[in-house]
Parts: sequence; structure tokens; C-alpha cells
Amino acid sequence: MLDEDKPRVIEEVVRRMLDEYGGDSAAVERTLFDTLYDERRRLKTTSDTAGAQALLSYYDGIYAEVSRAGPDRQAELLAELARHFAEEVSGHFDERVYQLVTRVIPWAFTVMLNTLSPLKLVQAIPGGLGSLENQVEFQGEIETFRKLDELGTTVVISTHQSNLDSVVMGWGLYALGFGPYTYGAGANLFENKMMAFFMNNLGAYRVDRRIKTALYTSVLKTYAGCTMELGYNNMFFPGGTRSRSGAVERRLKLGLLGMGLDAYIHNLAAGRDKPDIFIIPCTMNYQIILEAETLVEDFLKEVGKSRYIITDDEFSQPMVVLDFFRKLFSLDSRIHFTVCSPLDVFGNRVDAEGRSLDRRGRVVDRARYVLRDGEPAVDRQRDMEYTRELAGSVIDQFHRNTVIKPTNLLAYAMFEHLKEQSPGLDVYHLLREDRELEVPLQAAYDRVDRALKDVRKLAREGRIRLDETVAGKDIVLVVNTALAHFESFHRGPALLRRGDHLSLLDRKLLFYYHNRLVGFEVGDGGRIHEQER
Amino acid sequence: MTEGGYMSKSGKAAPKRRPPRKRSDVAIIGGGSFGTMLAMLLAERGRHPLVWVRRQEHAEEINDEHRNVRYSGDIELPRNVAATTDLEKAIDGVPVVIMAIPSRSFREVARRVGDHIRGDQVLVHGTKGLERETHRRMSEILREETCALKTGVISGPTLAREMMAGNPSGAVVASHYREVVTKVHDLFRGGRMRVYTGRDVTGTEIGGAFKNIIAIASGASDGLGFGAMTKSLLMTRGLGEMVRFGVANDAEARTFAGLAGMGDMMANCMSPLSRNYQVGAGLAGGEALDDLLAKLDQAAEGVPTAAAVNGQAAELGLDLPIVREVHAVLFEGRAPALALERLMKSPVGEELDYFGDRDR
Repeated sequence: MLDEDKPRVIEEVVRRMLDEYGGDSAAVERTLFDTLYDERRRLKTTSDTAGAQALLSYYDGIYAEVSRAGPDRQAELLAELARHFAEEVSGHFDERVYQLVTRVIPWAFTVMLNTLSPLKLVQAIPGGLGSLENQVEFQGEIETFRKLDELGTTVVISTHQSNLDSVVMGWGLYALGFGPYTYGAGANLFENKMMAFFMNNLGAYRVDRRIKTALYTSVLKTYAGCTMELGYNNMFFPGGTRSRSGAVERRLKLGLLGMGLDAYIHNLAAGRDKPDIFIIPCTMNYQIILEAETLVEDFLKEVGKSRYIITDDEFSQPMVVLDFFRKLFSLDSRIHFTVCSPLDVFGNRVDAEGRSLDRRGRVVDRARYVLRDGEPAVDRQRDMEYTRELAGSVIDQFHRNTVIKPTNLLAYAMFEHLKEQSPGLDVYHLLREDRELEVPLQAAYDRVDRALKDVRKLAREGRIRLDETVAGKDIVLVVNTALAHFESFHRGPALLRRGDHLSLLDRKLLFYYHNRLVGFEVGDGGRIHEQER
Repeated sequence: MTEGGYMSKSGKAAPKRRPPRKRSDVAIIGGGSFGTMLAMLLAERGRHPLVWVRRQEHAEEINDEHRNVRYSGDIELPRNVAATTDLEKAIDGVPVVIMAIPSRSFREVARRVGDHIRGDQVLVHGTKGLERETHRRMSEILREETCALKTGVISGPTLAREMMAGNPSGAVVASHYREVVTKVHDLFRGGRMRVYTGRDVTGTEIGGAFKNIIAIASGASDGLGFGAMTKSLLMTRGLGEMVRFGVANDAEARTFAGLAGMGDMMANCMSPLSRNYQVGAGLAGGEALDDLLAKLDQAAEGVPTAAAVNGQAAELGLDLPIVREVHAVLFEGRAPALALERLMKSPVGEELDYFGDRDR
């Protein structure tokens, strides 16, 4: 967000917080005490940093005052806390950094690619540098997206598997010709040495998931909504966090997702020229996920004990990241950036003219959804249900536009084989066994072939997308491509070819890559495991 | 101003015509027995329901003779019930639209409704069945065929004949939208049908549909001469199958203890007025299904629903013995007596296993 708009947004957020929580003096007092209790408790258990101590002192001061303050002063204190959170969330955007970074990132990636081979390096200089365009393949409804970008505000939401998603999304939108996007980034990324620079200068607003108190989450959502109302395009990951299991998102966080609707209603009520908010779901698809080992370990921890925020994964180690890129690009490992069907804030499809369509293709007058007594009005309960509708449509789009890679297919086929070899074992027991399993190559080919038939059928029906290798007819190529990736990345290979056998070496990694196909109708394993719901 | 009966300035009697009708405040799509019953109940509460029917003569019978002979016999309909064959006119501008259409033609009518309905309108249905071919619930069809999001279902022990005879009863309106349940509840408030509210749309729909299968079994049991305790066994075990099927479809188990589950099932399993009960009793008496359905001249939702539930149970790997036997009687030529014998010989396990460990 431009710095000149920031004060307006912060003041609007504060005003809406007073509307939401300041209904009466009892509500104000309750919100103050709840907020201070949550925050002081959190900070007391946080490792003893200077910042945390300073913040704790600040809260202690307010706490001491709340008890003896009258209603008017309490309302002022609530406004102060809301303003404090809004300023904490508020992002910074530097046009010069944006221009620099969007130009440099592809170049930097290409250098990483080309340093692999001296020949390539020579070829690359001067002017021979490939670009990220060669590594990222854009597909889907890009032209509709462009037209909608002119007609209203767009909110780009994406599947989330890796921290790399932020970079690819940000750069991808630039490469497609779109202007800068406002986005919410986890506070951990502001603390990650490699990412902090981008986060601090490219318009990211800060989402600190350690802060659980209701006032903060309301401020956060309202802040995002206000930026949408001002016409700032937004992007975020509606799953909230990287998929731990490797599966495509089946549940979304509704709070932020619903702010598009909130902004739309406010725009209609204010009679703005371009009131529309268009939701653009996208999928990011990779052969290999850098953080796969950490993510799947976390997923397999006892339910409820997994970490929502991971700050010490592979992405926090620059040399690991560099090595990852080198290998990724050396294997001509395309990243698929797919623009799904755009949606309105109710989950209806939208055409290139910005019209909402029902499932029979009839034009829908979407403004009518939010009328109350003939006027556009916010209705929290109704709007939450509308947002659930939107979430359902987004999940559907995410699945339809998931690109299946050879690594997913081979892992799926081999994990299904593993399950068959261990009847009666649930997933956790299956994964706990460390016995190495050998699969004859021909049996592996046969299984991949069966899975291929299923995914090709799904692709014909428009329920999934296929990587070009998977879409081809060469099973051996699918297996070899997957093996090359599995052998090159991660601390150890998930599986390895030994003569005429495949050795299944890392069951957890296999499970992780296999999960991308769970939920689709592929073999029997497409059914969702109870543990994965 | 020329009203019927007033003299015009020329001194000639003005042509007789109906007094202007107040604008309709609720549309009922379908003038069968359920739609007619709803129209009567609403009219009793001072509403002005406009009923959409397919045929002009049907509409004229309701508008001119205030009767719906095929579905409500000689009962006179209140004057504030009107009918039209113009679907757009029925739907345009009314805050609430109620679908009262049998499951077999529900999708076709829903698609036509979808040409006219708007996003600010409430759309609920009272159809107690599943789509035979797709196993879809009616609310899923409404979502597929219309732009309406504020949808819901109304269900419960509402035997049309009993209701039209003036008896009191109750129902539940379920929706994810508070506005929907509030509006529908308010429409019926204070009347003979007590309308409770709920959120479990799936459970309410499945309860209403599933009970029809058990009503067929109960009718067959009575037709074979068995008594109250046999029927009690069928109903109680049928409730268990309903819960198992419902929970597998993400319904809440407790919904089936309410009006849309047990409540509706009791009415339909005990009353000879229930069309599904009549189908079961007729089959036990040796009549052919086609003859029975022709004689009824109205939908018996248990028949397509048995096919839908049996098919979906197979897909989900659910063991539903009563459904299986009713399906066999309806579609595979199995004699009702043999079906009951097979049920009595089926394995017996822990009684309340369908509630799962958590709920016990």
C-alpha cells in the first residue's frame, strides 16, 4: 500500500473496531481485558527478547489504567490498542525496491541455474541469460484475469506448499503484467534472513499468527478489507499455512477470504464506481518441494501438536535453497503457475466481462445477494455462509487446476503398493516401519500405468491437469523423470532404482508426494484417509 | 373506480370481476397435496400464497372454484390462495419461494425456477426424496440449477390429508442461513403447524427421504398381518439405518431424533394415509408395484429413494439390511414375506453401534 493511503486505512480500521467492539461500555471493557490478558500471557511465555519486554511493559501500563478509567477513556484505550495492532500489521511499499526486485529475481534465478555448468554459464553471458519464464509455465484463464483486473479489484489466492510460493506468485504476477499486489505474509518470513528484505519493501502486511487475541485478528482482516476497498489488489494463501501433508487444500481459513465480500458490500453501500472484487484462485505446482521432509514430519506428529509456524525448515538455510534451485533448474523442472476460473465473492464463476454466472451459465445479479430491505448491508451470519460457498468453489478450482507431476504419480503408485503389501496397517503404522521394500521395475511400471489411466480420465473430464511428461504416453519417461528428482533432492532419496528393482527408501516422503493425488478418484487410494480429513 | 357490483356512470352494471388480490408474499411451486396443504396453512395465517401449477385448468380450478379436487378433494381452499401457470409471475418479487415438487421432476422445475429467482430471495423445499439417478439431495439440486444461496428445507410429520382436515402438527425448517429459518418460521408462526428451526440441512433432508423407505416396510409388515411390536422393531432398526446413512453423509446424528427423523417416521409408519405405507401394504397384499403407483396417482417418494439410498449405501460400503430388503421387494421381485424372514435371520450385533463410541 502506498504510504499516503496508510493513515486513512489505519483510521478506518480503528473506527470499524470501535463499531464492532464498542457497542456498549461493558463490551469495550471486556474486549480490553480479553486483549490484554491474551497478549500479556503470550509475551510472558515468549523467549525473553527486548522487543517482547518492551511490549509487555506497554500492555502493563494500559492494563493498570483500564481498571480505573471511565467509559470514555476505556473507549480511547480500545482505539489505541486497535491502532497499535493496525500499525503493526500495516505494510510498507517501496516502488523502487519493487521495480528492482521484479527485474532481479528472474536474473538471479537464472544465474543459479547456469552456474551449474560452465558451458551454460558461458552461453549465458552476455544477453544469453535465460529467464524465469523458461522455468515457470503460465497457463489457465490468464486473459480473463487481465480483463477483470481492469474492471475491479482482484484478490489472488493460491495453493500453498512451499515458501517459494510467495516468490513465484509475486514474480509471476509481475511477469504477467500486473501491478504490485498487497499481501499478508507470516511474521516468520519477516524474520527469515532470505525473505525479510522482500517482505519489508514489497507491500507485505504482517500476519503474526502467534497473536491469537480476537481484536488483533479483526484488525488484520479489516485492514486487508480496507485495502481492497481502496482498490489495492491483494494476494494471500487461504489455506493459512503450507500444506503439511502435501495434499491439495480441503479446508480454508474463512476470515481473510471473507474480506472480499465485506469490501464489496462497503463499496456498494458507498456507491463506488468499481465496486467489484474478483477472486482469482491459482495453483503452484512443483516436482519437488524443498521443505517436504520438515512438513511431513510435522504432519505426522500427534494431531493438534503440529506446529502452525515453522521457522527452522530447509528454507531458512540459504545454501540449501541455492542448492535446491541449482538442481531444480538443471532438471528442467518446470513450475506450473495456473490461473483457475475467476470467481465472485459468493463463489460463482465470473466471465471476462465481469458477469457472475450460475452453474447453468446464466447471468446472476450478484448485488442482490447482499440486499437487506433493498439496501446493501453487512450481515455477519449470512456473509459467513456466503464465504463458505466461496471456499467450496475455491477448493473445487484448486483441485481442478492441480498439475500432477511425475513425482506425484510415481509416489502415489508406490505408496499404494506399500499399502497393499501391509494389509491392515493404518497410515501411521505403515510409515513407522523402517523396512526397506523392493519393487520389481515391471510391477512399478504396471502400477504407474494404472494410475496414469485414472489421472488421464480425470484430466479429460477437466477435474485435474497433467504435467506434459505425465500427459505423454511414455511410462518409462514418467518413472525416470520422477526418479531423477527423487534422487537429487532431500537428505536422502525417497526411492532409488537398483538394477531391475525400485527401492522404497523414505516412506514419509513417498507419502507426502503421494498425497497430492489423495481426494481424486485414482485407484482405491483416492479416498480421503480419516487421518487426513 | 369501478368495482364489481357498483354502477358505472352510464348506469349500466359494471362487469363482475374479482376484487384486486393483495400482492403475493410467498410462492409455492407445485400444486400437489403438499403444496396445497402449505398454501392452506399459510392462507390461514393471513398470507397470500401464489401457487404455481403446470396446467391452466388446474389454476382455474383453484382460482375460480377454490378447490384442488385431485389433491384435496372437496375441501374448500381459502380465498387468499391463488394459482398461476406463469412461473415468472409466481416468483417475481416474493421474499420466499417454497418448492413442493416430487423428486422425479424436481431438477427440471428447479432449472426453470433458476431462470427467474434472484439472489435476495429465500428458496426452500419440502420434497422428501433423493434424486434416483444421481443420489443428490434436493438442496444440492437447487444449488446446481439456480443462483439461490439462501436455501433450506422444511420437513416433518406433515401428512397432507390430516393437515388439510384441520389437525395440528409440527415441522422443522433447516438452513445454514439464519434469515431463511427466521423468514419461514415467521410465515407459519402461530398456526396449526409449529415450525421449529435447525441448521442441519443434510440431516433434515435425509430424515425426510429415508423414512419413506421404512414406511414401505411398515406397510408391508401390517399387510402381512404382523402387529405393533414387529412394526416397532422395523421402525427402531430403521432409525438406526437412517442414522448410519446420515452420518456417512455428514449429517448430525441427533437430527434424526427430531421431527424430520423419528417424528416423520412415526407418522408415516403408523398412518394408512401415508402413500409409502400404502405401497408396502399393497405389495404385501400381492399387488404389483406399477398398479399401486398408478392407483395412487401421486408420488410415493419411498420408491425412487429406496433405489437412490441402496445405490449410495453400496458406494459407501454401508450395511443397511432394511433398505436392501425393501429395494429387493420393489425392484427385484422378492416377496415381502421372504424379505421380512431374511431380515429376521440377519446377524444380530450390539444395538446402538450406529451412534459410535463417542455418543454412547
